[in-house]
Amino acid sequence: METENSIKILLVDDEVKFLKAVSDRLSIKGFNVTTASNGDDAIQAASRGGFDVAVLDLQMPGTDGAQVLKILKQNHKFIEIIMLTGHATVDSAVECTKLGAFKYLEKPCSFEKLVDALKEAYQARMQKKFEKNQKRMAAIQKLSMHQSPLGLLKAMAQYDDGEK
Amino acid sequence: MDKTKDWFGYDSLAFFGKVNASISHELKNVMAIISETSGLLSDLSDLASTGKPIAPDMLKSCTGSIMEEIQRGFATIRQMNRFSHSVDNPVQSVNLLDVLEMVIALSEYLSFSAKTNLRSGPGDAPVVLTCPFLLQAVVYQTLVFAYKHTGPEAEFTIFIQPLDDSGWRIIFPGFDVSMFQVFPDVATATMANSIGVAIHCDSVTDRVEMDIPLSIESITALDVSPEIPGTAKPSRSRA
Repeated sequence: METENSIKILLVDDEVKFLKAVSDRLSIKGFNVTTASNGDDAIQAASRGGFDVAVLDLQMPGTDGAQVLKILKQNHKFIEIIMLTGHATVDSAVECTKLGAFKYLEKPCSFEKLVDALKEAYQARMQKKFEKNQKRMAAIQKLSMHQSPLGLLKAMAQYDDGEK
Repeated sequence: MDKTKDWFGYDSLAFFGKVNASISHELKNVMAIISETSGLLSDLSDLASTGKPIAPDMLKSCTGSIMEEIQRGFATIRQMNRFSHSVDNPVQSVNLLDVLEMVIALSEYLSFSAKTNLRSGPGDAPVVLTCPFLLQAVVYQTLVFAYKHTGPEAEFTIFIQPLDDSGWRIIFPGFDVSMFQVFPDVATATMANSIGVAIHCDSVTDRVEMDIPLSIESITALDVSPEIPGTAKPSRSRA
């Protein structure tokens, strides 16, 4: 079982003091936290990152949380995203869920609730990766039946190309 | 002036709701920061009790942050209170600078608001007899249009200048012709008309001019037909 130490979090909020306090608390808990105070910085950080979970504020100047959610889900297949907003509405919750948000939390939200959501999101991410790998292995096994080692490599490349 | 009460229709109620939603959002942010920072203090105390040294600067920064947020919360509540009471007297004598200052403060709660300054020329205080609530709504909508167009990086300076002996002119720079296709919208135009405020869109200087009569009593508001939205004479150039 992974520990919080290995969970990489991208925390995004335009309220810098909130960002600092939550980031410090998560770091004390052992999470590996990177912060961004606007949507564009978040997208840039994610492109460098390999994050497991992103926590996004919804209303931010410039690129807002829903747009960031959409872009992160498009560009990073396994990232899980938690929306954390002071402007919670049923409409935005529905929109974010449709865009692939893992959870939608309303500010102020208890720290423990956020930590639980982060752990759940991380588990969901690992489960997805595991299932994807299992599917890949099964497909390759099928393709490589009665194949030589070279044939097996070809079958793997064939499967991966098909996935792209 | 009882007629004025009838003017607080759906549009002004929508404005009231919009502003209150943005204030509650601000307060949620304040509470969230206080909650997380006090939580951090508690986490640090727990660490200290296990013998881990904690930097005094970190504690100082946390308590300072909490105190600042409490002040921010008080300021927000004061604005909310002032805004809520602006419907108490439908018509009253107001200083336009006070109205604009409050609207600018309220608009700052929007995530896309730009920095906005206020400037008035020397001379008499710009006092008018009007419906302050509807005037706030009209000015707020104007700022929202401007902010949506320019984004949060922009900076505006709103001017007030006397308009002969008939009233005052508020000037909003930073608009352009493309905005005049959608501004003023139905709600803004209707509310402006109901209090005798004339909105001119000047495509030469890229600005909106809002003429406020000295007294609403000279206006037979209910007889004024609302302007058709998006037709606010964009071609006009004013000296």
